[in-house]
Amino acid sequence: MSLLLSSVGFGLITSAVLAIAAVGFTLQFAVTDVLNLAFAGVMTAGAFTAYLVNQAGYSVWVGLVAAMAAGSVLSALLNYLVYAPFQRRGAAPITLVIVSLGMALIIEFGIAAVAGGVGVSYRMGQGRTVRLGGLVLTTVQLTIMAISLVVMVGVHALLRYSRLGKAMRATAANRMLARTCGIRTGRVIAVTWAVTGALCGLAGTVFAIDVGSFDPTSTDIFLILILAAVFLGGPGNAYAAMLGALVIGLATEISAAYIQADYKYVVAFVILLAMLAVRPTGLLGTRT
Amino acid sequence: MYYLIILLVYAAVDVIACLGLSQQFGVAGVTNFGFIIFQAAGAYVAAALALPPDTANGGFQLYIGGFSLPFPLPWLGAAAAGGLLALPFTFLVGRRLRGDFAAVGLLVTAVLLNLLVTNYRPLFNGDAGMAVVPAPLAHGMFVETSKGYQYAFAAGGIVVAGVVYWFVRRITESPYGRTLRAMRDNDKVADSLGKNLLALRTGVLVAGGAIAGLSGGILVSFIGVWSPPAWSYAETIVLFTAVIIGGAGNHLGAVLGAVLVPVGFEEVTRYISNGDQNLPPNLLPSLQWVAIGLLIAVFLWLRPQGVLPERKRVISAPDAAPGGPGGPGGGGIRPARAHHPARSRCEGPEILRASAVSREFGGVHAVAGVSLSIARGTLTGLIGPNGAGKSTLLSLLAGTDKVSSGQITYSGRDVTALPAYRRARSGLVRTFQLATEFKRLTVLENLLCAMPGNRGDSFLGAVAGRRCWRADEDLAIERAMTLIAEFGLTRHANDYAGDLSGGQRRLVEIMRALMAEPEMLLLDEPMAGVYPELARRIGTALRDLCQQGMTILMVEHELAIMDEFCDPVIVMADGAILAQGTMAELRDRSDVVEAYLVG
Repeated sequence: MSLLLSSVGFGLITSAVLAIAAVGFTLQFAVTDVLNLAFAGVMTAGAFTAYLVNQAGYSVWVGLVAAMAAGSVLSALLNYLVYAPFQRRGAAPITLVIVSLGMALIIEFGIAAVAGGVGVSYRMGQGRTVRLGGLVLTTVQLTIMAISLVVMVGVHALLRYSRLGKAMRATAANRMLARTCGIRTGRVIAVTWAVTGALCGLAGTVFAIDVGSFDPTSTDIFLILILAAVFLGGPGNAYAAMLGALVIGLATEISAAYIQADYKYVVAFVILLAMLAVRPTGLLGTRT
Repeated sequence: MYYLIILLVYAAVDVIACLGLSQQFGVAGVTNFGFIIFQAAGAYVAAALALPPDTANGGFQLYIGGFSLPFPLPWLGAAAAGGLLALPFTFLVGRRLRGDFAAVGLLVTAVLLNLLVTNYRPLFNGDAGMAVVPAPLAHGMFVETSKGYQYAFAAGGIVVAGVVYWFVRRITESPYGRTLRAMRDNDKVADSLGKNLLALRTGVLVAGGAIAGLSGGILVSFIGVWSPPAWSYAETIVLFTAVIIGGAGNHLGAVLGAVLVPVGFEEVTRYISNGDQNLPPNLLPSLQWVAIGLLIAVFLWLRPQGVLPERKRVISAPDAAPGGPGGPGGGGIRPARAHHPARSRCEGPEILRASAVSREFGGVHAVAGVSLSIARGTLTGLIGPNGAGKSTLLSLLAGTDKVSSGQITYSGRDVTALPAYRRARSGLVRTFQLATEFKRLTVLENLLCAMPGNRGDSFLGAVAGRRCWRADEDLAIERAMTLIAEFGLTRHANDYAGDLSGGQRRLVEIMRALMAEPEMLLLDEPMAGVYPELARRIGTALRDLCQQGMTILMVEHELAIMDEFCDPVIVMADGAILAQGTMAELRDRSDVVEAYLVG
């Protein structure tokens, strides 16, 4: 029983981290039409930015803000310098996926070249331990969940109530039509890169806080969890990504408690392949 | 000197792998981001076949198998393993999934299989990998470490690479290869012309997997070790970079790319990095990956077609087209089904019937309970305002889209559950509203690949070689050239279809559908973008075809065309059929006039 409960606790934290990343990834894909496999690389860049700030003597939470800025700038640059020019030229979606893989290599191994391949961790305390029912969590873990919750509510508010959110949804639904309706889709897309990039940098840092020690390739496997969460709910749909993140986070951690921990990603993998084969539009989505 | 031999073997292995990838990605358009796992499977299986049982050598490594099989069985086993491993993935690249999603699925598979093999030791010795794999024939008079043996091994590898080159070229330059390229350019249209996408992609995955497996088998029997880091997902990207730089779709380009990227770039810099001890150990390998990423982006931007672009297949006509000039309307476009008598034909007044056919998109009834009957030999028009459901109905009839409810009968046979390619093969062929030419095929090739019954249009036929399919091909070329001449495009026969004007592409589309030897044609706005004079000539040609026994259902907005050529005309509005009759009759009906004619 306590095994199950503690794995649920881990699952919720993983879900919280995953939800931030998955929502960022899926919004990016929906609005910009780029299946950006460099997402994990940008996460790593964010995590290392926070590490630098942390090493300079500031709190990791200050680093978190710096990481969001770094993720935002890096993503906007990726779009401005690479993806947008390819799209303007009418490149096929698969070409952009290949280019994004190239970008992933550049970012990830660029960091590895500078930082070396060894694992690093933030200088921070884990805070007091809190018992909630049968769950045992640290304040840091609770903070991560709170951040995730705030992000989810924020994304909901953005999409639902703001002009930008409406423009983003319109651009995602039909870019050409949105443009003819007077929406400056180029600007909407650029802003989307900045916003989702900030989410990406944030996700990278809370991921690094959560796992403790990280190196430039740590997020590789995490990208698979993101993809699984995104495709489970339905690519392009933010709410579906939240649902997917919850399911995948819980499924991997609970299964880790009962089978060998090394194999916990297999569950995510099976879910992802099954969804791709049976229902590529996901549980909630209709977008293909 | 020894280093040169190693480079030669690596070159042979990489060339083989790149040829397999070039066939999948460049020719067939299947983006296999998991390519490296097929090479890995070949390497592991070759090792497990060649090694003695794992209790030998003091049992320091664990693995399944261990059969001490003599050369060349491990290599053959490696190819078989790569091919068999491809089978479970065919569901990912089947008919329904978009290419980039399938690519993501394969990438994820590659990452996770690597993780699994790393952590599960009993299978292939986990992260330590397999070692002391015996070299082929390395006993008795052959000494593995001798220079002569090493040269012989390199020569053997190069010979195998040559055979693989010959093999993929034979496939690519056959009618089957042309079908693969058509599928690459537009799979939905290939489907509608009777090509079985699932079978085609399965063939491509299995053949490419076997080639990758063979390359792994050769590699492991040379270096003697194989472990998970050797086949990380990123190695696939290296091979992709090679194929992109060399030229996707050109097998010589794949050879060039293999020599430039994995060999010239990776192995040589690896060699350099061993020389300088002052650098941090991680720096050069990392920078190498950065450079690979840069190469991909820069090449896709500056020269997406690669150093050696895909060659244009110029086919010279056997002799001047016998149909002569004069444009369509000469009455010469007859359905030449003489060499296809096998098609089952159930003669009767009715060829196509739809009963209460509906299609729903998330609550919207695009087609709502349409019932219609098309009589054999008629040229039926289908009109209606935008959004009436005309194109959706056409898709349902052709099988491009599935009905939500209702039944479709064609030639007395219930085809409701048949996929598009099966309906096309039984003579029900459609065209599309938007331009759908195979862009990187010439006009002539566009037509040729629609021709059914070519013996070279199958994997085995392609392997059998030109002798097997030459006669069919010549016949197809003759028919295609006749058709092209009748539509006045002879001058463009060997131009890429993607380079034509909008109107010319419409013509290619109609000609291609006619090449498929249809019994019934479903045309979606065939005259959109065609100048009026030519539109009338097409109309005349279509009417002549119907007089010769073909049946046509045509969506068109130009009422003058409807007036002149179509009888009966069906009017659709809001997903349902509003009226049916001659144009004259329809003009007298106030509801029709209100819904459509006035607007």
